[in-house]
Amino acid sequence: MSNKTKPLIVIIVAVAVAAGIAVYWSRQSSASGAGSSDVTVAVNPGGGHIRGNASAPVTLVEFGDYECPSCGYYYPMVEEVLARYPDRVKLEFHHYPLIQMHAHALSAAMAAEAAGDQGKFWEMHDMLYKHQPQWARNPNPEAQFLAYAADLGLDANKFMRSLKSPDVEKRILEDIQRGSAAKVDGTPTFFVNGQNIKPLPTGVDEFAAAITAPITASK
Amino acid sequence: MKQRATAIGVVAFLGMVDALYLTVMRGMHVPCSVTGGCNEVLTSEYSEVFHIPLSMIGLAFYFTIFCLAVLDAFEVSHLLKWVFWLALPAFLITLVLLYLQAFVILHFCQYCLASAAFVTSIFLISAWPARKRQILN
Repeated sequence: MSNKTKPLIVIIVAVAVAAGIAVYWSRQSSASGAGSSDVTVAVNPGGGHIRGNASAPVTLVEFGDYECPSCGYYYPMVEEVLARYPDRVKLEFHHYPLIQMHAHALSAAMAAEAAGDQGKFWEMHDMLYKHQPQWARNPNPEAQFLAYAADLGLDANKFMRSLKSPDVEKRILEDIQRGSAAKVDGTPTFFVNGQNIKPLPTGVDEFAAAITAPITASK
Repeated sequence: MKQRATAIGVVAFLGMVDALYLTVMRGMHVPCSVTGGCNEVLTSEYSEVFHIPLSMIGLAFYFTIFCLAVLDAFEVSHLLKWVFWLALPAFLITLVLLYLQAFVILHFCQYCLASAAFVTSIFLISAWPARKRQILN
C-alpha cells in the first residue's frame, strides 16, 4: 500500500465511523426524548382546551410550553394534522410551562388563559406560538401580551385582571400536576388516545402517520 | 507518526461526531441533561448563517482539519501550519458564540460547549511551538 493511499483509507474509515456513531447517537436520543412508551394518560385527563370537533374519535393531547422552541416547531405540524383530519382528530391542549428554564412561560400560559376568560384562548394560543421569537426575547413581554389582546379585541382591563389572577395561575398549576401524573418530562409531549408518541415525529407526514393508526381503527 | 498531528486528528474526529450529531438532529428535540438550554440555542437565529446551519459549517471545518492532520501524520505533506491558520478564526468565532450563549440567548448548549472545547484544543495544539522540529533544524 502506498504512502498516499493509507491516509485516504484512514479518512474514509474515520468519516464512516463518525457518521455511524452520530446516527446511532441521534436514534438513541430520539428514542429517549419523549419518555417511556408504556406511559399512558387517560384520554381526557380533565381540564385542558379542546380544538376541533369535540366528538372526534381521536384525541391528540399536547402538554406544551409557549416559550419552548420545540413546541413552537411542532405548532404548525399540529395545525396541519388537525386540518388534514378535521372530523377525526381533536386537540386537547394542556399547559406545561417549564418555569425553571423559561422565564416567561408561566406568564404566557396565563395570557392564553386570560384570553380564554373572554372566549379567545385559541386565538391567543396561535398568537403566542406564531410570535414566540419576538416576545420570548423580551425581558418584559407583558406589554406584548397586552398588544396581542388588543389585536384580538379583548377588554384590556379584564385581560390584565385575569393575567394577575391567582385562579388563573391555579388552573395552570393543575395542568402541570396532570402532566406530572402522566410522567411528562419535557415539552412538547403528545399522546394519541392515551399513548405517548415516541419518538417525537420529525416531520408533518411522520406526525400524521403516528395518528393514522387510531384513525384507521376508528373507521 | 507525529504526535501533534495525531492529537489534532483525534480532536477533529470528536468534533466531526459532535457536528454530525447536531446536523442529524437539526429540527428535532435534542436531549440536554447537562446544561438544559440546547434547544433554545440550536433553534435561535444565531444557529445558522445565510440559512446554513452552524453545525454543517462546523462539520466542514472539522473534516478539513482532520484531513490535514492525517496527511501530516502520514508525512504526505506538512500541513500543520494550515491547521493553525484555520483554527485561529474558528477560535475567534467560538468566543463570539460563547458570548452569544452567555449574554444574548441566555442558555447554554452542551454540544456547542463541547465543540468550543474541541476548537480551542485544536487551536492551542496547532499554536504550540514545535520544539522538536526547531531543535532538529
